[in-house]
Amino acid sequence: MFLTRSEYDRGVNTFSPEGRLFQVEYAIEAIKLGSTALGIRTDQGVVLAVEKRVTSCLMEPSSLEKITQLDGHVACAFSGLTADARMLVDKARIESQNHWFAYNEPMKVESITQAISNLALKFSEDNEDDDEMSMSRPFGVALLVAGVDKDGARLYHLDPSGTYIHFDAKAIGSGSEGAQTSLQEIYKGDLSMDQITVHALQILKQVMEDKLNSVNVEVVQVQLDGVCKRLTQEQLQTYIEEISK
Amino acid sequence: MSILEYNGSAIIAMIGKHCVAIASDKRLGIQAQTISTDFRKVFEVNSGLFLGLPGLATDVSTVERTLQYRLNLLQLRESRLLTPRSFMYMVSSLLYERRFGPYFVEPVIAGLDQESYQPFIATMDLIGCPMEKNDFVVSGTCSEQMYGMCESLWKPNLEPLELFEIISQALLNSVDRDALSGWGGIVHVVEKDRVTTKHLRARMD
Amino acid sequence: MDFGTGAALPVSKPPLARQFNPYTSNGGTILALSGEDFSLVASDTRLSERFRIHTRDQPKTYKLTDNVVLGCCGFHGDVLTLNKLLAARIKMYKHQHDHEISCSSLAQMLSTILYSRRFFPFYTYNILIGLDEQGKGCVYSFDPVGSYERETYRAGGTGASMLQPLLDNQIGFKHQNIPEQDRPELTADRAIALVRDVFIGAAERDINTGDGLHMQLVTKDGIKTLDRFPLRKD
Repeated sequence: MFLTRSEYDRGVNTFSPEGRLFQVEYAIEAIKLGSTALGIRTDQGVVLAVEKRVTSCLMEPSSLEKITQLDGHVACAFSGLTADARMLVDKARIESQNHWFAYNEPMKVESITQAISNLALKFSEDNEDDDEMSMSRPFGVALLVAGVDKDGARLYHLDPSGTYIHFDAKAIGSGSEGAQTSLQEIYKGDLSMDQITVHALQILKQVMEDKLNSVNVEVVQVQLDGVCKRLTQEQLQTYIEEISK
Repeated sequence: MSILEYNGSAIIAMIGKHCVAIASDKRLGIQAQTISTDFRKVFEVNSGLFLGLPGLATDVSTVERTLQYRLNLLQLRESRLLTPRSFMYMVSSLLYERRFGPYFVEPVIAGLDQESYQPFIATMDLIGCPMEKNDFVVSGTCSEQMYGMCESLWKPNLEPLELFEIISQALLNSVDRDALSGWGGIVHVVEKDRVTTKHLRARMD
Repeated sequence: MDFGTGAALPVSKPPLARQFNPYTSNGGTILALSGEDFSLVASDTRLSERFRIHTRDQPKTYKLTDNVVLGCCGFHGDVLTLNKLLAARIKMYKHQHDHEISCSSLAQMLSTILYSRRFFPFYTYNILIGLDEQGKGCVYSFDPVGSYERETYRAGGTGASMLQPLLDNQIGFKHQNIPEQDRPELTADRAIALVRDVFIGAAERDINTGDGLHMQLVTKDGIKTLDRFPLRKD
């Protein structure tokens, strides 16, 4: 199957005769190797939950951070190449602060996502006439951007092609297929923050290879007042006990 | 910065019905630094005849004392009181004597004529070009502000109490928008048979 | 040594330096005030330069969005350029963020635009009016390099120093000793009457202010331009 693509998957900016950009598609494939991350949105807020792959007992789990804050009112979970995600997160933070500086208001979640998407598409092989540094390949990372603005709680999914879509619930990463099916089954618009947190952990538990515990997951709640809360180990423990009943 | 604005000052005179009023601030400063908050710049040179001297403080004293000197001498020689208009010309000629090295004051004169009790107000520039008015005159570092206030507040035939209120409001609100004048005010209302002097409390900043 | 007899030395004059002055003042006075559910901006309509009048029909208020108006005077060239720039930036904001820019964001944006020219400023006095997020009238006043604050009333331009103390007195109730709760609420009708009175005073004394009074009223129903009120033409 890959033989047919051989000539057209070398350059990042060359379409195949069928109209496909193989490097971008490969980048999307790369996400499926990443750890599972999922987000659920209701009118009460958004929850992001990510599994951490603690591959060695000598590894310090707290140094693995896959949910990060973009601005006071926006958090973001990612799956794929962590280093690539850092570049996008940096960009988002700068754009968001620039917006606050210029307009004295928090940036809309969609606008932040749009800003990241602009950078996600800035890859090319010839950087010679480019002033700023740019990537020579697509970013190998997908993001779940969760936040609260004047339109309420928002959850966006952004993939390496720069496409972004507003979701009620979305899973990315290695366990995403199974998780997405489960999300569709459980999702209702009137769930509370507590309920979606429980659902998020339950679904994560189903798709994770390791046994779920308070160390190998990371959960952030974005409340309707715009406050982002990272759950502590104790809080996670309570939730985990609840779902294992 | 003009030397006229070195010490800061604000003076207004207004005509009412059979009365006149003259008001001034009390500040003496050296540019932005306040030296005194009880500096006199309005003088009763004759009964019912007031001279306001906004401008350079040293010249305020000199001009006031020179004028008083000449007025006293004239009174001794001719044993008569000067009409406000004659006094205005006296001030004018004193200033014009220093045409090329002027006193840095722009005087305001306000008073009632001792015989006809006609109200009289006038002002002049620092070399003594006189200007008589029949509504109000202003002089000092916040003259624009005072023009704005007086232009809207003043109306003809004000009774003494109304005149006091209006000249006080005009002064206080004007000096609050000027950094160089303010720090309290003093108002004299001159009527046929009496002069009422009141001190105004103002913001001290 | 001989100081007295020397003939004057031939001294060559240094070349006369001529410098281009990029600014002129085109006069004009603007005034804005706000009440519980409205805001009002007014300007005279004279455009002048020193002792010349360019036109008697140039209002200095500029509609920026459906409920924000800018009062802008100073150097007319900079006024026009700034307004072009603002119009473009407002459109860009709308396209980028998919909604109309708010009055407070517009104020911050204007401040950064003005500050971006910190060392070659726009010679403009700006007062922005509109309604805030709660529907209350708001007034933002600026200096030419972008320092700004929200106020309830403000005058700007060549006649500002004449108008401001009177507004302090009549709207701010300064030196009136009326307790806060007994002060009458500012209605649009009283505001309009007051604006007329103070502009008559400014036209009387400021040679760069006069000809006509132009007023725009912002309420929840949008922007309404009031009938032109004549001022002194001399």
